[in-house]
Amino acid sequence: MSTAFGAAPTIRADGPPTWLTSRWTQALLVLAALLAGFAVLRGEHAFPALPEPFQIGPFFDRVYDWVVANRNTSPLFLYGFNYLSVGLGSAVILVNQVLTLLTWPGVTVLGTFTAWRVAGPRTAALVLAAFAVFGLTGLWSEAMTTLALIITSVLLALLIGIPLGILAGRNEGFDAAIRPVLNFLQIMPAFAYLMPMLLLFGIGNPAAAVATTVYAFPPAVRITALAIRNVDKGAVEATTSLGSTSWQLLTKVQLPLARRTIMLGVNQTIMLAVSMVVIASVIGAGGLGDAIYQALNKVNVGQAFEAGLAIVLMAIALDRVTAAAGNREYASGGSPVPRLAMTAAAVLAAVAASVLARLAGVADWPREWTLSAAGPINAFNDAVQDLFGDATAAVGEFLLGWVLDPLRTLLTDSPWWLVLLAAAALGLVLGGWRTALVAGLSLLGTGLLGVWGLSMDTLSQVLVAALVTVALGVVVGVLAARGDTFSRILRPILDAMQTLPPFVYLIPAVALFGIGRVPALAAAVVFALPPVIRLVEDGIRGVPPESVEATTSLGSTSWQLLTKVRLPLARSSILLAVNQGIMMVLAMVVIGALVGAGALGYGVVFGLAQNQLGLGLTSGLAIVCLGVLLDRLTQSAARRTG
Amino acid sequence: MSTTPGAGRAAKAAALLMALLMTTSCAVRTTSILRDPDTVRIALNAWVGYEASAAVVQYLLEEELGYQAQLVQLDEQPSWQALDQGAIDVILENWGHQDLMDTYGPGGNGTVVDGGPNGNTGHIGWYMPAYLVEEYPGVNTVEGLKEHADLFRTPESGDQGEFLSGAPGFVTQDQGMIDHFGLDFQIVYAGSEAAQITEVRNRYADGEPVLFYFYEPQWLFEELDLVRVEFPEYTEGCDADLEDVGCDYPRYDLNKIYREDFAEEGGPAYELVDAWEWTNADQNAVARLIADEGLDRDEAAARWVADNPDVWRPWIPETDRA
Repeated sequence: MSTAFGAAPTIRADGPPTWLTSRWTQALLVLAALLAGFAVLRGEHAFPALPEPFQIGPFFDRVYDWVVANRNTSPLFLYGFNYLSVGLGSAVILVNQVLTLLTWPGVTVLGTFTAWRVAGPRTAALVLAAFAVFGLTGLWSEAMTTLALIITSVLLALLIGIPLGILAGRNEGFDAAIRPVLNFLQIMPAFAYLMPMLLLFGIGNPAAAVATTVYAFPPAVRITALAIRNVDKGAVEATTSLGSTSWQLLTKVQLPLARRTIMLGVNQTIMLAVSMVVIASVIGAGGLGDAIYQALNKVNVGQAFEAGLAIVLMAIALDRVTAAAGNREYASGGSPVPRLAMTAAAVLAAVAASVLARLAGVADWPREWTLSAAGPINAFNDAVQDLFGDATAAVGEFLLGWVLDPLRTLLTDSPWWLVLLAAAALGLVLGGWRTALVAGLSLLGTGLLGVWGLSMDTLSQVLVAALVTVALGVVVGVLAARGDTFSRILRPILDAMQTLPPFVYLIPAVALFGIGRVPALAAAVVFALPPVIRLVEDGIRGVPPESVEATTSLGSTSWQLLTKVRLPLARSSILLAVNQGIMMVLAMVVIGALVGAGALGYGVVFGLAQNQLGLGLTSGLAIVCLGVLLDRLTQSAARRTG
Repeated sequence: MSTTPGAGRAAKAAALLMALLMTTSCAVRTTSILRDPDTVRIALNAWVGYEASAAVVQYLLEEELGYQAQLVQLDEQPSWQALDQGAIDVILENWGHQDLMDTYGPGGNGTVVDGGPNGNTGHIGWYMPAYLVEEYPGVNTVEGLKEHADLFRTPESGDQGEFLSGAPGFVTQDQGMIDHFGLDFQIVYAGSEAAQITEVRNRYADGEPVLFYFYEPQWLFEELDLVRVEFPEYTEGCDADLEDVGCDYPRYDLNKIYREDFAEEGGPAYELVDAWEWTNADQNAVARLIADEGLDRDEAAARWVADNPDVWRPWIPETDRA
């Protein structure tokens, strides 16, 4: 993409020695310059405050006051936002009432049957197991509330996302215009969404549904656009040459051919919605997220885990069903008539089940039919703490004293312009002028938002957490790539780690590492590890067997094989893993603040809890700025290498 | 059981749908969201004492009056916003918040009203384990904190003593107190009450020093022996400047806050909530069942209700008394 400084330096025969022009050496030189500058100029260097009328925080605070004063008088609300919020809130309630009306046997019959038709008997068994867990943990009605919210917001997200995606797939200009918006939406931390939503759409289900929709629709747009663009050019040309209209082209060729990929987008949207509804419980969304939250208030890890397990199962069930709907192994079988008959039979069976349940007096899941694993889980948690508590505390102290504190001091006590220049220089070295510009501007953004110091604190934590994540992820990924059994055992664990709401492991993290930045780091690592491990494993497995054989036949040791062949050839996957790892760690900044990470994350949490829109939103936007910076730097590095 | 509840629900759903269609034909206020008149929506703030109150009120509304009572998990300040938007009907345990009363109360936009005391008194303060006071007598005073600040150092607070703050939504004046009394302490934000309690329990188990923001009534006092730090008593207005506070936290007579229309429309649910008033001991009894014995909140409420008919009978509106 760029041809600037440092591009293909090795070709120039008369230039300086190659080690000096290597990008990594140059990057190290930039860091050395930063350190030298720090040593000389160390001290208080506050980012200059903007004059009062231009400060961004107070501006948001004024917006907040205006909305509170005008919510039920201004036409903007009376004929705008309030429509949406009342409509959406009511939609969620209606879906929930339908689920309640069906009763648990009815929902179970309908759900299991659908899963069987769409995805086959194994997935149907999984869905049945998920329903059983909802009931047995005593969380049936909570699970249905969550399901209602997911259904409403996913439908809405698809209603918005797929048309936008089709537009973006057929129109380059629109695609270019919408891309930065989607980037922004995906880097913005979920928590930071909640405040403006709360303000515009009201507390409870409406705001939760809008927040979930906004959070979940970007992948639907992206993947739909990609799917439409990837439709075989030949098929498109053939249709156009036959004189079809644009609408016919879309409905007869592009959509049917893109369907499989679009379903992947649907799948991603659902997964994001599942993670968001848990967070939305903070603004009164209710359901399973609420159950987790309340268990945490009582510091009852076991109870939180039970509700977390219900979420994990719901996520995995929804994932498998939609993934299968994309592949259509089962559903396409049979002619339309029996399919219609089957559907009718399923609906009848569901209705019959619900009527029977009412007659039998078990329309609500009977309380006697519940089991609790909370006790054993709590005991396990205590035992782990007794066993490893001292060791983990020592690790934590080491990390704080030798890694986190020095890095934070370096970033906060260096002059702001020096850090800014260093970021831009890194951008230049790794990407080129455009990357340099974006890197510099995004850091400048944090300063203009008025939260430079907090941003540097957060940046130091994110960098360390990302480093730990990548180091662990590469080791585990390499092991998984080399051992099929290990890989098979690992897979369900990674699935669970990815879908388990991070709230659940916050308390164990505090128990092991005490309060502060270290437990936040531990939680972020747990959250960010799965995609890193997956990408590394995938990259190494993708190394062509010929290269491996060639090296083995030359008599290399397996260590040489790994370091000289496998890792270098998998480099672009690994750099992508670094990028994903950093973005996932960044997504945990706010959640880390719940266990004492402070900094920007705490700004968001505090702003939300104390109705301070200015603080909450500027902190959230600063996190976006850091995200853009780190994303650009790592992506450029990956692209130039790949 | 017959099928009538199902049919009733279906009819209700249809009625709600009609209401929805009608409301969308003109200007929409946030208060016009679908609402079942037989459902009372109660804010549920994060601490267990509040949950105990909510559990008992919910139980009585449902079992004695036949209402549905829905508990909506919210932070303190957003709860007020929820009343303003018509998303909930009542806050059962409010701690101060005069500023919010000015915004939303009769002097402001008039969407909420003060529902009077709920009988509980609340007291926020700085606390430490009793064993510290035994080991270092007088450490629970301003002078003692000055002398022993280094005792409370942690890796997180560096070379200052650590003051562990609680949930971000709670009322605080800690920085103002630290500044006023010239204490060499740094606030470490635990970020959530759960994290804070976990940390306090751990340090307590190891006999380590810890100084933290806490409040009564709170169930943890049943489990740990904690001592309050002594500051000059609160006097009216001594906390006016939050950057310089030379006194302890005030004692709050905790009160109820209603959505204006909920109080206006009245009805048995409102009458019960309005008549409900109990003591700190009552609340602690239920909170202990929930937090210590791990009972579900409705089981805890059921047990308390079974044991204390004399306390709650008078809250039931006369027309509904069996």
